[in-house]
Amino acid sequence: MRHLIFSCFGWCALTVLGFAQAPPPAAAPGGTAGNYQSSTAEGGADRLFNVNSDSVDLENGTMQWKGSTMNLGNSRSVRARFERYLAAPTDNGDMKRYVAILDQIQFLLSPQALTKDNYYRNQQEAFNLLFKAAEFEFDAQGCLTIATQVQKAWRMGSEYKNIEVTLNQLEILRKTQESVIINRADRIEEANAERTDGKGKLVSKGSTGTTELGFKVKDEARTQAQMLAQGTKLSAIGLKAKIEFQSQMVAFLMARRYRHALITSAFYRVVFNASNQEVVVGAKEVKEFFPVSDFVPTLESIDLLAREAIKDVGKGMQTVDDLVKQEELYGAFERLQETYFLGEFEPSVMLYPQEKKRQMLTLWKDLRELQRLGDERDLASVEAFVNKVRGQARDFPSAPVLSKVNNAMNASNMSLLSAKAAALAGDTAKAEAALERATKIWPQNPGVKEFANQVVSRQDTLAQKVPEFDRLMAEAKWREIFNKKLEYALALAQDKERSDKLRKVVQRVGELDANIQKASMLAAQNNPYLAWDVIVEIYKTESDDLVLAKTRSDIAPLVAGYAQLIGRAEKLEKEGAEAAALAAWLSAQDLNPASPTCGAAVKRLARAVAESAVIRSEGAVPTPPAADDIPAPPTK
Amino acid sequence: MSKINPLFFALGIPVVVIVILVAIVVPRMGGGGRFADLTPFSVETYRRDWATLQGNSYRLECQVEQQLVEGRGRVLAVKPISKDPVGRIPVFIPAGSADSFEVGQRFKCRLRVTRDLLVVEALERF
Repeated sequence: MRHLIFSCFGWCALTVLGFAQAPPPAAAPGGTAGNYQSSTAEGGADRLFNVNSDSVDLENGTMQWKGSTMNLGNSRSVRARFERYLAAPTDNGDMKRYVAILDQIQFLLSPQALTKDNYYRNQQEAFNLLFKAAEFEFDAQGCLTIATQVQKAWRMGSEYKNIEVTLNQLEILRKTQESVIINRADRIEEANAERTDGKGKLVSKGSTGTTELGFKVKDEARTQAQMLAQGTKLSAIGLKAKIEFQSQMVAFLMARRYRHALITSAFYRVVFNASNQEVVVGAKEVKEFFPVSDFVPTLESIDLLAREAIKDVGKGMQTVDDLVKQEELYGAFERLQETYFLGEFEPSVMLYPQEKKRQMLTLWKDLRELQRLGDERDLASVEAFVNKVRGQARDFPSAPVLSKVNNAMNASNMSLLSAKAAALAGDTAKAEAALERATKIWPQNPGVKEFANQVVSRQDTLAQKVPEFDRLMAEAKWREIFNKKLEYALALAQDKERSDKLRKVVQRVGELDANIQKASMLAAQNNPYLAWDVIVEIYKTESDDLVLAKTRSDIAPLVAGYAQLIGRAEKLEKEGAEAAALAAWLSAQDLNPASPTCGAAVKRLARAVAESAVIRSEGAVPTPPAADDIPAPPTK
Repeated sequence: MSKINPLFFALGIPVVVIVILVAIVVPRMGGGGRFADLTPFSVETYRRDWATLQGNSYRLECQVEQQLVEGRGRVLAVKPISKDPVGRIPVFIPAGSADSFEVGQRFKCRLRVTRDLLVVEALERF
């Protein structure tokens, strides 16, 4: 009820807003009787209706019509009403005959049909037609309501006349009483004159007729009071009848029964003889909502709104038909929705074919489902549903919908990435915030579930990886650690000590791999001896590495003699045969003169040989040789 | 006037010269020289198993390739002179030697294998 009242105010507001902007009205010549096409009203209507397109907002239960917002009521009930309309079978009654009767009623009461001769006859004929129109189901007995209102107004008219008669009779009585009073007063004055002498001096006392005169005056005063009371009653009856009639008129308008509003308005004019066209009902509330107002809504403004609405509904339904013919079902649906809420009781809306309504109903359900998916942010399903809707309505604007869906998906995924990064960095608070953001944007993001699984499995991994890492460290299996470095990095992210160990292992194996790569490159460049040098050098510390062992075995056949010499030299050196080892190194250097390994070994062993020779010859501890640079061996 | 027949001089002097030359060249040609009584040093045997040579003295003809260490004695890398190239070996020149060694110099020497060390006990340039 509250919403209905508000929508009434909305309608009234339309009127006020439109006419308040209109130029000042010209003086109406000859009163308002029969002046249905006020130039003021037309001017205001032009401004009022020349605005943006219409639209329905089912979320808020509002509708934009002619630039003003109308409250249609609770959004849920609005939806239900529209859905009921789409699902309901089309009325089968004789709508044309019904409309013809309504038109006939309006015609009988119109200025072009009314004359002095047929003034009452037309009223009666129109009144009778109201009962015929009320027999139709679409009328919802609105015409009976009008008839009741008219009959009441007529009864008030009779009552009005009776009071007028009483007033006339009282006036006659009052005049009679007045003449009696004057007569009695004259006689008293004459008697008083006879009792005076020639000089005007009273010679005897007398009071004959004074008392009677007092009563007559009192009677006259009573009659005047009765007349005043009857006059007041007369005014009250007139005002009450008008207000009741206007209330009904506005009620029809706000119920969007425009034809009934027009008929009520027409009856009002003839019943009250066009004595006062000012609309009183709702004026106060309108002023409260729109404090514009030195403007007073008139019957013409209501008439014009009703006619314009009827015209808009007709055009709206034509547009719906055209769009359906062009297979633009989405546009047709939107126009039908707007048109329905503007004029759901208009014949063209009520008679819309059922098969087309069913088609719209299917689209409506799919759109609602799509909206539900959007509300629930089930973005993955939205795309499929958009395609389904597009299959029904080729004009459905799928691109912006899909664009928004993709944007939302991307935003969710970005937040998820951020959450992962924060989780890896050990920033739990940031990870939670980012994850919450990602979930809010796209609750069913599969990445969120995956991330949750990862978090859970990470806990399991932590439990497994830590002891595994410790074992591999104890067994010096650097390569195995290196191969699982990412897993260990994740598992040990918050264990600083182990992370440091892991970093060192990764660095160590990284350097090893770099040397292996270097050796492989040298071998590939036909320089196997230098490659072997690299291998030999790193083999000293990484003899357990399988990759190194494989590379070593790959290169060894290319440098068999060289390798044998080095191997023999190392063996001799270990046995203490330094001179023999030096001889072997010299032989190896002969094969690979550029070898830094050979150069270093020769230099080292030469000193050792010199020292041991001195010790042997003298039996004393030798002084270390001068740290002179041993020249490089001559190249071959 | 000398009673000696001039023919004697004419034939005798060349013969003497030839004899002297033969006396110088033949020993060299024969490889023995000053250390002719010693067994030539076998580089191959040394590399394969130096232990079999230790305590023995050998004759070695070689060319200086590189001086590795110089201090209280020298360690030289020398290349033995032989028909087949055998690569360099290290020899130790004790500190008492007053000889100078230049890269490319050739000399004959008497080597003693002291454990695995090849010590030059005496040498002769050629």
